Parts: sequence; structure tokens; C-alpha cells
Amino acid sequence: MSKASVPARRLKAATGDKLFSLGLLLPAILLTFVFILVPVIDSIIKSFTEYKIKNVISGQPGTWNNFENYIKLFQNDKLMPAIITTFIFVFAVVIAQFLIGFILAVILDSKIRGSRFLRSIMMMPWVVPTMISGMVWLWIYQPQYGLLRYLVQVVTGGSVLDFAILNNPNTALLGIGIAALWKQVPLTTLLLLAGLQSVPNDMLEAATVDGASTLRRFVSIVIPYMMSVIKVTVSMSIIENFKQFPLFWTMTGGGPDGSTTTLAILSYREAFVSNNLGSGAAVTTVWMLLMILVVFVYNKIFRAEPMD
Amino acid sequence: MKRVLALVLALCLALSLAACGGGNSTSQPAAGGSGSQGGGEGYTEDITLKVANYAILESGYTEFWEGVKAGFEEKYPNITIEWVTAPYGEITNQVINMAGGGDMVDVIFSELIWIPTFVEAGLAAPAEEMLDEDFLADFYPNVLEAHQVDGLTYGVPLYASSCVLYYNKDIFEAAGLDPNAPPTTYEEMLAMAEQIDGMTTADGNKIYSFGVPTASVAVSGSFLNSVVYNFGGSVLAEDGTLAIDDGFTEAFEMIKLLDDKEYMPQNAKAKDLRNLFALGQLAMYYDQSWGFNGVSSINPDASSFTASAMPLKGGDGNGAGTLQSHCFVMVNNGDAQAWAAKEFVQYVITPEVLNDYMNNITPAYPVKNDMADCLPAMLEASADATTQAIPVPLVPALNDFNLELCTLAQAVTVSDKDVNTAIADFETAANAILAG
Repeated sequence: MSKASVPARRLKAATGDKLFSLGLLLPAILLTFVFILVPVIDSIIKSFTEYKIKNVISGQPGTWNNFENYIKLFQNDKLMPAIITTFIFVFAVVIAQFLIGFILAVILDSKIRGSRFLRSIMMMPWVVPTMISGMVWLWIYQPQYGLLRYLVQVVTGGSVLDFAILNNPNTALLGIGIAALWKQVPLTTLLLLAGLQSVPNDMLEAATVDGASTLRRFVSIVIPYMMSVIKVTVSMSIIENFKQFPLFWTMTGGGPDGSTTTLAILSYREAFVSNNLGSGAAVTTVWMLLMILVVFVYNKIFRAEPMD
Repeated sequence: MKRVLALVLALCLALSLAACGGGNSTSQPAAGGSGSQGGGEGYTEDITLKVANYAILESGYTEFWEGVKAGFEEKYPNITIEWVTAPYGEITNQVINMAGGGDMVDVIFSELIWIPTFVEAGLAAPAEEMLDEDFLADFYPNVLEAHQVDGLTYGVPLYASSCVLYYNKDIFEAAGLDPNAPPTTYEEMLAMAEQIDGMTTADGNKIYSFGVPTASVAVSGSFLNSVVYNFGGSVLAEDGTLAIDDGFTEAFEMIKLLDDKEYMPQNAKAKDLRNLFALGQLAMYYDQSWGFNGVSSINPDASSFTASAMPLKGGDGNGAGTLQSHCFVMVNNGDAQAWAAKEFVQYVITPEVLNDYMNNITPAYPVKNDMADCLPAMLEASADATTQAIPVPLVPALNDFNLELCTLAQAVTVSDKDVNTAIADFETAANAILAG
């Protein structure tokens, strides 16, 4: 065997490995391309055209309309309120979801009696379809005979009889936020619990022996070890709430007086109520860009270094 | 060997994905054909007629529609009805999505306000091309006119309604009012509402005097439009542009007044009002006549205390309302399908099929001369409600426009905005919607 043939064979082996990797990645690449990239690009293209339902049915492409969809969007005073409402909802729900989820995860991790049972029960809201959750909460909030109204009546000794959280433009978003938390906190708790349980006990024991307080152990050991789990959990929560639609549509339809009109609602109304798919695609494009921006900024701020 | 196996598996997965993308992308909807034009000739070949119908999923109506299918298939053994179903709020998208994939339904059981969507989509075929001339000639002209776009009829009504005033005779009696003398004007209604105000049910719940739907649902907009018509006002001009006037302002001032006096449940959907009415917590409310089905499904004894009355007169208006209906929208999928669709529509819209339905399941007003006797006893007191109803121009963005009317009603009620300010905001938003 000549010495020159060894590097050539190594090169061949390296190429073979790369081809093998590529072959294994091919289904994932195809899947991403066909089901994610193509629809996203198609939607962006449509956002620059007049594209209506008759185009879908006749198969005719949309016609370029000189940024008309975007111009209309920025001129009709609906986009900015929808962006603000979306951000308020996402910001408030993500923070509350993380805090409640963390507290519950710590409680469940503390090996209290029945924690395994509680863990199973707690997952129930998560498995309920979002649309059904919306309907259930709608009934709970019902202003004349809902459960919440009854509880408020009992707690206030009958002095408050007209508590209607979804009918007040100042509280309607809170009402939907509570329903969103009920639905999403279980998964957050489960993920954070998994993160908590991956913190090495020997580190915690060593810190205890060294005299570290509970708070110190939590801040210096638990949080750093959980950072990657926290980052993923919060990212998921941001995306989930940014694209929240069923709860809004089921519970308020964007009302009262536009107080719960988020980008999701605006997009749906443009595309499927006004039947203007091009205009709906324009809202979706703005919505997608904002979501990418938020997740990008979040990842920049919370860059997690893996613990060794 | 493991590497080869892994590659083969990956390749299979990739190929199966590619196969998924293939599909029948070249399939096109069946050609429109020349239309059956009434066609007296029957077809003997086997035909499957696709009928999109949300009501099949609603327990109160399933039995009726299954009976229609059985009866029709017995009369036409070569035609099989295939229901295409989706919930009420999703049926239009279901039909459109199917059509986008080349799978066209033949008939759609539709709300009147959905007609512009199907016309805009290019799905709806004019009834003049699909049905027998003498069958169409029997409809009341104002009813057919309400289903027309550019002079062509795109929806064939089974029955109609205006915004009927339903009231609770027991509450009237308990308030010292004559249960057989409902209000005829808004002024009379306000006087009666004052007498009812403060009453509670046996279990201590407040009884609201009056209700009109204002929650963000497209059909609520139709009710608000009707209130404007009650005051002699207008909302949309014939050409589909905004045409608001003093009657429009008076109507929303009345809605604000009702809210300020706490006579009216805030931000309620029609079904919320039906629930309250069924539970004896609402004295008077506007509904489609068939909304009573929702009331009686909650309280089977509701017919004992329910009565109907004509829409109220306000300002310079004569109490006219908007016309609403359940109608068939037909799709022309070629001669054989069009013939089967015609036979189906003309089979259903007959006294034989609808009389029992309109009297015992969903109270509604007849739309044809040969169905004049189908008027349910409960609606006799408001028999002229549909006769004087005014058609709403069927503009493509009607549903979104209706949602904007709801936002206006919410602005003057739950947000407590000044009526003129709220109307100015409404004009901006509505003009943007109507501009497309």
C-alpha cells in the first residue's frame, strides 16, 4: 500500500460520512422546506398581491397591488393597537406563567405527599383542546349565571352582582390571560420540574456543607444548572402566546370595543372574515417578523452557557 | 450494513414526503356547464349530491335533516345525498377550502349574510339559471330581492325572519303590564322597561328589561342594522358604500340609553339572550324567529310564556327590520349535478317538507305563496315582520362590516363613549373595510 493512498482514502471516508449525514438529514430538510419554508415564502409573496378566495378556487395567481395591503394596514389605525395588545398579553402571560410554573415545580420537587398524583392531575388542562378551554372559561365568566360571578357575589356578600370580566375593555385581556395560564402552566411546570430534577445533588450537598443558605444555593447552583431548560421553556411560552388565537376568538372575538384584538385576530378577520387573503397575509408577515424579532432579542439577552 | 439500512429508511421517508406533495394538483372543479335551466329531463345515472350543512351537527335539527335525506333519496333512488359538515362558524371556510382543492359541493345550507362570500368566491350560481321559472315565481318578491347581488338571486330561502321582538308574558303580568299588549314603539318599550326594572327571579337574579345582541359575532351586526332600520335610518347604500344618517345616530343613542339605564345585558350574543330569556331573566329581546328553538331547548315550557311582536318603531321609522333567512346556495357543477341540486332544493322548499319544521322545530315566516299557511301560531302577532323588512345590500365584506357595527355598539355601551365620537371612529374603520 502506497503512503499517498492513505490521505486519499481518509478524504474518501470523510466525504462518505458527509454524504451519509446528508442522506439521514434529507427527510428533515425536505419536511422543513415543503411544510415550513414554501408556505412562509408563499404567504409573503401573497401579501404583496390582491389575492382573494376566487383566486384560491380558480387557481389564478394574485395580482401585484403596489404594497396596497401594507398601506391599508398602516393607515386604518388597527395595526398598532393590535401590536400593543399582543405585546401586553405576551409579556404579562409569559412572566406570570414562568413564576407560577416555577413555584409549582419547586413544590412538586419538594417530595410532598401526593406529589406524583398532583403531577398527573395538574396536566389535565394541558390536554384539553384550546377551543374547549375557551368555551369552559366563557361559561365560568358568564356575567349572569357564571361560576365567577357567583363566587364574587358570595365573597362580596352580595354587593357585587354585575361582575363581568370579559365585558369590560379594561379587564377582558386579563380574563383571557387567566384562561391562557390555566391551559399553559402545566407544561411549563413539567418542563421546569424536569430541569429542577437534573440539578446534581452532590453540588447542593457540598454547598450545604459549605454553609450556603437556601437562597444562595438556589441562585448560584439551581438557576445556572436550569438555565438551558428555562430558556427553552420561556421561548416556547413566548411563541405559544404570540400566536394565541383560539382563546381570543372563542371568548371575545376581539372585543369588547377592540380591546382584545391581537395580531392573530386581525389576521383572521382580514383573511377569513373579509375574505381578503392578501391583506391577511400582510398582517401575518408583520406578525411573523415581530415574533422572530422578539425571539431573537430574547435569545441574545438570555444566552445560556451550558454548565459543565 | 447499519449505515445502508439507515440510508434506505431515510430515502423511503423522503420519497413518501415527495409522494405526499404529488396529489391531484391538476384536478379542477367540474366545468360549469350550460346550467340545467330548469331542465325537465331527469337523469337516470347514479348521482352523489354533496350538500354542505352545519345544522346536521346541531342536535335540534339532525332528525329533520336526516328525514329530508331519507325522503329525497326515496323519491329519487339514483341520487345519494352526501352531507358535508362543519360547525356553524366554520362551514364557509370548509366549503371554500374544499373548492380550492377541486372538491366542489353542490348545495350549501347558508345564512343570508354568507351569500356575498360565496358570490365573491365565484361558487354561487344564480338561481335563475338553476331552478324552474315557476318555482322561483312563487316566492315573495321582497324576500327574493334580499338574496340578490346585481339583480341575480344567489340564495333560495327556505324560510325567513326579521328581527322579531320576543317577550315574556309572565314577566309582563308580574310587572302589572298587559301580556297581550306588547310595545310598538321604543318609547313604549322604555316605559315598560322602567316598570320591569328592579324585578328579580324567584332565586334572586336580576330580570333585564330588554336585550339586543352586541357581542362580536357577525350576526349581531345584522341585529344592530335592524335597529337602525327601526328608526328609519340607513347603514349601507345600494352601491355598498357607507350611508349613515340621523336614524343611524338615533339607533345607537337608544342602545346607549338602554345600557346607561342598565335595562340591557352588556356585550351579549344572541345565544346569551336566549339563555336569559329561557331562564326568565329577560323580559323582551330581539331575535331571529328561529332563535326560539334555542330558548325551548333550554326551557321546554318556554312556549307557555313566550309571545312575539312586531319590531319596534323609533324616530321617523316604521319599525322595518332587516330580512334574514336560511337559504340554499347552489353551485353549478355540470348538468347532472345541477339537475340533482335543483330537484333537491325544489323538494325541500315545499309545505310538505317544511310545515312541521317551521311550526314545531324552528318558528319562521313563509317565503312563498304555497307556504303561506305554514306560519306558526307563535308568529301570527308579528306576521308582517318580513313583509316590511328591508334587504341589506350584500357587499363582499358584509361579515367584517357587521363586526365593526358590534364594535360601535360596544363603544357606546361597555366603553361608555360619546355616540358621535364612536360613530366617527366607526366611519373610519368601516370605510376601510368597504374599500376592500
